[in-house]
Amino acid sequence: MNSRSREAAAHNAGRSGANEPEPDTLALFEDFDAPPPPSRSEGRARRPAARSDEPGLSPESAISIAALTLATREIIEGAVEPLWVRGEVVGLKEHRKGHWYFTLKDAAAQIRCVMWASDARRALAAPDEGMTISALGKLTVFAARGELQLRILRIEASGDGLWRKAFEKIHKKLEAEGLFATERKRPLPLLPSCVALVTSTDGAALHDVVSVVQRRCPITRVVVAHAQVQGEDAPKSIVAALHRVARWGQADVVILGRGGGSREDLWAFNDERVVRAAAGMPVPVISAVGHEVDVTLCDLAADHRAATPSAAAEAAVPRLTDLVRHVKRLGTELREAALAQVESARERLADAGVSVARAATHKVERGRLTLEGVAGRLHALSPLATIARGYAVLADREGNPVTSVTSLNDGDAFVARVRDGRIHARAERTETLREGEE
Amino acid sequence: MSFEKKVQRLEEIVRALESKDMSLEKGLKLFEEGIACLRDASTELAKSEAAVQVLRERVDGILEATDLRA
Repeated sequence: MNSRSREAAAHNAGRSGANEPEPDTLALFEDFDAPPPPSRSEGRARRPAARSDEPGLSPESAISIAALTLATREIIEGAVEPLWVRGEVVGLKEHRKGHWYFTLKDAAAQIRCVMWASDARRALAAPDEGMTISALGKLTVFAARGELQLRILRIEASGDGLWRKAFEKIHKKLEAEGLFATERKRPLPLLPSCVALVTSTDGAALHDVVSVVQRRCPITRVVVAHAQVQGEDAPKSIVAALHRVARWGQADVVILGRGGGSREDLWAFNDERVVRAAAGMPVPVISAVGHEVDVTLCDLAADHRAATPSAAAEAAVPRLTDLVRHVKRLGTELREAALAQVESARERLADAGVSVARAATHKVERGRLTLEGVAGRLHALSPLATIARGYAVLADREGNPVTSVTSLNDGDAFVARVRDGRIHARAERTETLREGEE
Repeated sequence: MSFEKKVQRLEEIVRALESKDMSLEKGLKLFEEGIACLRDASTELAKSEAAVQVLRERVDGILEATDLRA
């Protein structure tokens, strides 16, 4: 036994809380290479007297159970490198300190497993009951129970079970907070003067975005905030880059992304810290992570989702030539509309002139008709009309009409008005007609 | 006013001038405003090509954008 495994044995003994004297353990295995002691037959169990004081080789030198299990553990740990094993998860219990205890089993066998909190923290999510997982484990012995045990270092579910579970857990939480709500989505600026790009300066995304922006809209400035986009430090790095852009404050829109990769490569874009930072940006964010099929939580939290960094750049900037054409057209329309207004005002003026004339003519005409009507009625009432028909109108000297025999005395002078003049005359005699007499 | 706002205002003015009759004085005023928007927007579109830069944080915490290829 070398000194390293000796130290390990001492360490393990201390950790398990056993208080077995180490020399026993070591002594037991001093002769590990010797043939195993026969166990079945009494006769063969007998040993030469010279060896009977060796630990565990006689009733007198019996070793403790702790020594046995610790020694076993040492052998097993020393002999077997960490291995990937596959099995079904049963009875997972989560300790309040974050350790996971469960059993891995298949049709024929099972083994107890432990995943210490320091390792469990790095796992995406705890596996579900009955989930088949692959686990990287180091074989050991749990002395207190005399059980074979796997200390699990990493787990991966067959298929996407764990990814999905972790994704759904964060998704559920952030959705409940309204981070993915449609109402939160802001429109992208028509012509950003500066596009910030949060990605790796070593990645393909930078080249793709820059070439699209320079082709479509070369007047827009592209500023890259470098972030490590995969690996354990990626979330922190991406969050820091987003914060730099926010603090700098000169970008009109942010593209957050990277080129395609495995699910593991893209995982940082599902990290809660990253998703929150993206959602909290003061300017609209376009996410462009990986390929079309991979939706990340950043995609859901962003104001706009693009399938690729190139597509993100196309969404971020307009085609300058289109914009120039649009503005030119607006200029033409403006002039035409203004001219039309002037023309319309001129027409209105002309129309107003005609209306005034028409209104005036109408008034005069109405006056004339009224006048004619009145004149006609006047004419009908006038005694002149009667005279014109051959009658005479008599008046006394004072000009009072003579309409009765009582108006005149015999010999009184009077005037008869006839059609073409007056006749001055004198009444010779007046007589009153009786009723009915003509 | 941002480029976008200018173009939006210009569109509004064109629509207003196209759609309804107004006093000559008001029409002229709108036209002048539209011409100003048009001039500003065109100036912005005629800017020179921008560089690609990297946003770095200096040791004193100040953020600065420097040319990528520099």
